[in-house]
Amino acid sequence: MKKKLKRLAFEPWGNYAIALAASVQCLNVEPWTRTATTPEVLELGVAASPDSACLSFKACTGHFLEAAREGVEYGVMVNSVGTCRLRYYRMLQQQLLEERGFKLFIFGLGYDGIKPPLIRHFDPRPGPFLKCCVRARAKVLAVDAIEKYAWHTRARELHRGDTTRVLNECLGDLERADSLLDIRRVKESIPVRFKKIAVKKDAIPLKIGLLGEATVLRNRFLNHNIEEILGGLGAEVFNFFLLGEEMKNIFGIGMWGRHSRWTLKRLAAPYLKSLVGGHALDSVANAIRCARGGYDGVVHVCPTGCMPEISVRPILRKISTDMDLPVLECSFDEHTSHLGVITRLEAFVDILNARRTRGNQTWKNRVISV
Amino acid sequence: MSGSKRTDYRSVAMPRALWYHLYPGMWEVFFRSLGLSVVVSAKTDRATVERAALISEPEHCLPLKLHDAHLHGVVGAADVVFIPRVLSTLTEHIACPKLGSLPDCAVAQFGDETPILTIDIDENKRSVHRSMLELGSELGFRRNATRAAAAAALSAMKTERNGLKTCIDREDDYFLILAHPYILHDAYVSAPVFGKLDAMNVKWLFPDYGCESIESGPIKWDACGIMHDALLRLDAGRCVGVIHLSAFNCGCDSIVMEVFRGLLWEKNIPYMTLVIDEHEGRAGLDTRLEAFVDSIGWRNTLDNAV
Ligand code: SF4
Repeated sequence: MKKKLKRLAFEPWGNYAIALAASVQCLNVEPWTRTATTPEVLELGVAASPDSACLSFKACTGHFLEAAREGVEYGVMVNSVGTCRLRYYRMLQQQLLEERGFKLFIFGLGYDGIKPPLIRHFDPRPGPFLKCCVRARAKVLAVDAIEKYAWHTRARELHRGDTTRVLNECLGDLERADSLLDIRRVKESIPVRFKKIAVKKDAIPLKIGLLGEATVLRNRFLNHNIEEILGGLGAEVFNFFLLGEEMKNIFGIGMWGRHSRWTLKRLAAPYLKSLVGGHALDSVANAIRCARGGYDGVVHVCPTGCMPEISVRPILRKISTDMDLPVLECSFDEHTSHLGVITRLEAFVDILNARRTRGNQTWKNRVISV
Repeated sequence: MSGSKRTDYRSVAMPRALWYHLYPGMWEVFFRSLGLSVVVSAKTDRATVERAALISEPEHCLPLKLHDAHLHGVVGAADVVFIPRVLSTLTEHIACPKLGSLPDCAVAQFGDETPILTIDIDENKRSVHRSMLELGSELGFRRNATRAAAAAALSAMKTERNGLKTCIDREDDYFLILAHPYILHDAYVSAPVFGKLDAMNVKWLFPDYGCESIESGPIKWDACGIMHDALLRLDAGRCVGVIHLSAFNCGCDSIVMEVFRGLLWEKNIPYMTLVIDEHEGRAGLDTRLEAFVDSIGWRNTLDNAV
């Protein structure tokens, strides 16, 4: 009889969950995750978390609580060495779980010593482990590619919902793809599939950059599906949190890439001369990039009270006036009303459209294609 | 940061908020010893709080809002406004990330009206003494002058800190007060609490924020690390309770409060958190403090009875 595999829960991190699931297979555990938080899970998290913790923490805690209820044995959580609260999530979540009598043990992922504790514990053989990593990376890149097509197409689609359907199909195939070859096949099919969607041929949709905190940017439930709302309003979005690019930063390779820390630092230097922490530097740098690249506007997305992101808001405002770039500040917490978000986004899109009719030409010199 | 040559500065202004309280009295003496005239914003009062609500980012924590208001008050009062970039005030620890962007935010908000002078304070890289030396040389002062000024500044800070009520008669039962230095030292924010405690005849003290280093623990934020360290070494026989004064929207506290709660629960010391915001609601504060202190009195009586 086949031994029942132990399960490993990790944070619901948007569509990247698919890729992360692939990476833990070699550890001989079954991944337990979702691509987005659910209302019930968030409720669990809110009830257990300190009041003033941020939305990302609450959602993630709820996720682990739910996993623990279902008897999942292990969890994994990034162990950042940064300045923001993320650094203490694991410790606190473990405490909250123990206080409630749950056995789930959360591993910290990374950066203490050469081998993360997770790897030390499961001790996979190096061969399969490497293979898994390669596969996971391929999947992350594939997710990025799929999403980019979706952002592009959704703003132009003739029939509402076509893009989302194709997106989900692609993601489903990617989830099932086991070998590198399969992943490559899925990846190659992406452009073909999206090209089949009927679009308004010569539309030049608004282009809106999404900047801010990674979890909320990527978790559809937490950000009230901002990508789809904007897409539905005929705006092409670009979500600046791309895990494929982020991975390079984490491993310190690719100094020269468009999204490397080094490039971002140089870009942000006139306005921000320190790293701050979290993705604050990225937000500032990407706002400047959007302004230069002819974006019609940006939405700054973060959990209410997010320490690094909120602390750079005055700077974003300054960039907005200096470079004539409309910025919409959207903070999310568990009380954020869905209708409120829609209304604000609609108003923002209206304003951007009005700017164009009033003769704003910035979109004409749109050069960016990331 | 500005076109004019830095040595031209004859006066320097600073907000009496946030980082100013982290090194009490130090910066004033430093600049004054260098021969600059120093303008510090007036102490926090109602008007400051009201201004903060008007001009500051609504999602900021209370100290950051107050900082914005104080800063607004001194813009234009001197040739230059000084705002250091505090990255760490304690070796092996880091400051709250919000302090890292302060000078840049000041430039964004007031850069058109005044030049901003800044220097990195990072105890992990160099001592604050060395930071002062660097600042002096950046301003174009002679080495000797800067050295003397830095020494005077450090000793002024020491005197100031010794004057604070960190120690009382250790034999007594006392309450430990946890709060960031800029909450403790901002009388507008903390005086009602201390006034009430004194009125109830309660002895209290707070952790030594001037310590050189602490044993490395799980909390890496500097002030919070010091609080945690103080709690670890707390003697349950003598400390009867811990009161945590936290500022509204403080991100660091939202995490460490949970950790402290767990720790003190194990030590069996009562723990209370009081969140202070910009709204006047002092009556509620009084009631809660009274209730907490009373409950501890009861606890002791019950314990003695058993
Ligand atoms: S430690 Fe808390 S109160 Fe202090 S600046 Fe940071 S968030 Fe604000």
